[in-house]
Amino acid sequence: MHNTAVAHAHHAEHPSGIWRWITTTNHKDIGTLYLCFSLLMFFVGGAFAMLIRAELFKPGMQLMDPLFFNEMATLHGLVMIFGAIMPAFVGLANWMIPMMVGAPDMALPRMNNWSFWILPFAFILLLSTLFMPGGAPASGWTMYAPLMLQTGTAFPFTIFAIHLMGISSVMGAINIIATILNLRAPGMTLMKMPLFVWCWLITAYLLIAVMPVLAGAVTMELMDKYFGTSFFNAAGGGDPLLFQHVFWFFGHPEVYIMVLPAFGIISEIIPTFSRKPLFGYTSMVYAVASIAFLSFIVWAHHMFTVGMPLAADLFFMFTTMLIAVPTGVKVFNWVATMWRGALSFETPMLFAIAFVFLFTIGGFSGVMLALVPADWQYHDTYFVVAHFHYVLVTGSAFAIMGAVYYWLPKWTGHMYNETLAKWHFWLSVISINVLYFPMHFLGLAGMNRRLPDYPVQFTDLNQIVSIGGFVFGVSQLLFVACIILCVRGGKKAEAKVWEGALGLEWTLPSPPPYHSFTEPPAANLIWAHPYQND
Amino acid sequence: MLQKNFKKALRGVIASSLALISGSAFAIDLNMPVGVTPMSHDVYDLHMYVFWVCVGIGIVVFGLMLISIIWHRKAAGYQPAQFHENTAIEVIWTIIPFIILIALAIPASKVLVDMTNTSDPDMSIKIEGYQWKWQYDYLQNGFSYFSTLAADSNAASQLDSGINPDSVPHYLRDVDHPMVVPTGKKIRLLITANDVIHSWWVEDFAVKVDAIPGFVNQAWIKVDKPGTYRGSCSQLCGRGHAFMPIVVVAESWDDYQKWVASMQTSHGAFINPATLQPEQNGSPVVYAPAELNFNAPTPAPAQATATATPVAAPSPTPTMAAAEVKPAGKPAVVAGKTWTMATAMARGQQVFDANCAACHMADGKGNPAMGVPAIAAGPIPNGPLAAHITLVLHGKGIMPAWGNILDDADLAAVITYERNSFGNHQGDLVQPAQIKTAR
Repeated sequence: MHNTAVAHAHHAEHPSGIWRWITTTNHKDIGTLYLCFSLLMFFVGGAFAMLIRAELFKPGMQLMDPLFFNEMATLHGLVMIFGAIMPAFVGLANWMIPMMVGAPDMALPRMNNWSFWILPFAFILLLSTLFMPGGAPASGWTMYAPLMLQTGTAFPFTIFAIHLMGISSVMGAINIIATILNLRAPGMTLMKMPLFVWCWLITAYLLIAVMPVLAGAVTMELMDKYFGTSFFNAAGGGDPLLFQHVFWFFGHPEVYIMVLPAFGIISEIIPTFSRKPLFGYTSMVYAVASIAFLSFIVWAHHMFTVGMPLAADLFFMFTTMLIAVPTGVKVFNWVATMWRGALSFETPMLFAIAFVFLFTIGGFSGVMLALVPADWQYHDTYFVVAHFHYVLVTGSAFAIMGAVYYWLPKWTGHMYNETLAKWHFWLSVISINVLYFPMHFLGLAGMNRRLPDYPVQFTDLNQIVSIGGFVFGVSQLLFVACIILCVRGGKKAEAKVWEGALGLEWTLPSPPPYHSFTEPPAANLIWAHPYQND
Repeated sequence: MLQKNFKKALRGVIASSLALISGSAFAIDLNMPVGVTPMSHDVYDLHMYVFWVCVGIGIVVFGLMLISIIWHRKAAGYQPAQFHENTAIEVIWTIIPFIILIALAIPASKVLVDMTNTSDPDMSIKIEGYQWKWQYDYLQNGFSYFSTLAADSNAASQLDSGINPDSVPHYLRDVDHPMVVPTGKKIRLLITANDVIHSWWVEDFAVKVDAIPGFVNQAWIKVDKPGTYRGSCSQLCGRGHAFMPIVVVAESWDDYQKWVASMQTSHGAFINPATLQPEQNGSPVVYAPAELNFNAPTPAPAQATATATPVAAPSPTPTMAAAEVKPAGKPAVVAGKTWTMATAMARGQQVFDANCAACHMADGKGNPAMGVPAIAAGPIPNGPLAAHITLVLHGKGIMPAWGNILDDADLAAVITYERNSFGNHQGDLVQPAQIKTAR
């Protein structure tokens, strides 16, 4: 009798302190771990970017060897993509998807723990290469053969780190798919799911489809280096371009892996602060699905200068341009959602509006880059650097920041400091345009990307860019301050934090109980998109 | 006609408005240059066309957003509408972008077809990328040479060099041996690489083509007007990626012909296309064997065997006088050459600075971050001579096989230099014959 009671009590408890986090199978704890990890990596990758911008403040080499510069550029890319953006989205999925679909937890909680805890080891492996003889990988995050094969001791460590990141991502994706398909509350049909859930469902399929392709590509490099194969060695009958084709077959869907969840977030935030339902829910779902499909047939637009046959150039140009159609539909739908709403401008909404503006600018340069003859001038210049930072930083990263401010009161039970958060937003949005907009001009004037040093006529614009970079970097400390202050205390948050919010997560108290929905929510609460019940 | 005038007017408006910003504030034009080939004009027009289309779409989309932000505010007491669906409007804003895209795709495809048409060239030049320099091979004229970063840029670009890059003319945009082309001729470029992937980009020509080991890519140019055009390697190719610029000198057909004739009889010296005088810098011009040399005037055998008489540069500086000009590059002839310690050391230093210093550093201390060992007090230059020669000839890891790149005389000179510089005192004097035997 006594024993049963103890056992029961033990079952209901969870360990405290560090063991809570190491052994946790709870979706909220794991979501928190993912988000904290990605914030840490955002600062590590950001520190690399600060070093890059410091060296580029003046022509000539002042701070580092050109090879170390290449190492910084490589690690900045790998850390930001695999360490900051992707884990942040997985963290948001962990926190929000069970609450949005009315489930108690993720479908596969133990695997959830594992897929997170692989990541710190993967990044310890990757970052330890900085201290190895020959330094970290220096061939760019794209790891093109044959240059990648010149990497020293760091080579196998980098590749195994990539393998671990891939395993983690695929497990996370399986978990998300299993949760969405199996644990939805009764009555929540697929076409009643919140858009964030839809976007993540499609993203998860993309992850499962392409992460093994990346693993294959880097494994082939490993074989070339250590087992005498010649996949990418022309002298042995191989083909250096094969690597690029395989890599970008992963790489282009990867771009959408980093932006579709952002589309989902924006589609949640804009209706809330417009106090008006999302315009064109159905077309939004179809647009995301179309983008995902097209992402598999556009990969070679990253390689227009490699000398493909005319027919291939034309094919990839046309398919790439086609992506503008569903992407345009999404932007038009967001604008139509705001149109004649009753807008208010809390920090999440500010980030969402900035997202729509600045992501669209990245989309415009994307259309320009799609035109092969023009791409031959833009390719591998700062014009491209500007393009992908507009879609990845003012796109994905801004969406993540917006999401954090949007759901932070729900997670912590406290309101964040709105004044401080607005300072964070305005400093970020101004400095980031000082940082990235002049890059368009640098690229058009002929400055290549990945340059440790540059001709003197590019000096003044590079100084402006660097100053924008430093200010943006420092501004992110405000983000951390906002989060820490909000976790520690603040005005009590209500269950429905925002006046115009719709969706199951707002029916739970703030902060929500440890197990989100122990009983399925009542059917009349499924109001994510109430007009679906018309 | 109307379209042409419109285009012209448009171009004027853009140019003047951009000049207004760029002229006053920045050292560069803020827009893509119009360039000097027919293709670069087409690409510029396409670029401006798609730019203005984007501006137009931006005005509409951002304009609607701004109207919402300004008028449809809760703070202004606006009551939200509740509409959320309209199939007709969804269809319209799917079809309109589609039509705009077709309007973009048609001119883009036309230009692309034109750009890839490399048929019927007047001449061909092969371009090969190396870590970190370019080689230009004039296939029909039977000579080739390397083009490396100019010495003044190289010195200023060293870490903490103390040299202000502003004081260097054309910092990182100048080379020792420029590529020389005639104007008004269709020139086919055959582009490949020796080690890793590079990319040959001259923005004024609108040519950017990857140089890939094992592939020969093609492009073509037809330069409108004489001048000096500058470009760079556009694909990350390792430590020296920023330090392998491209310079192309375009000359009239007559001047070009004179330059070619001088090059063919320069006995390894590079001929400055402006002065038509030989220059003693960088690596020597290499001549193709006669059977591969299609159009070159047949060199007189007597001239080629006159090994002992070096052709002195017209006004040799003291160091250059010590470095003899190599005789015409028939391998047998070169092998018959002998170095003295002084000539070998002088030539060896030139070869080292042009080829080896990129990794082993100008001070011979190597680059530990890159895993490149030091020459100064290094085990190889102070070890057995045979092992040293073998390593230089055949390479190892990231060390290239220089036997394929340099000739016997230069290899002998640079090995001699390495064994007797940077504090090394091996005392060896390597002769070209020893290299020939070791091959």
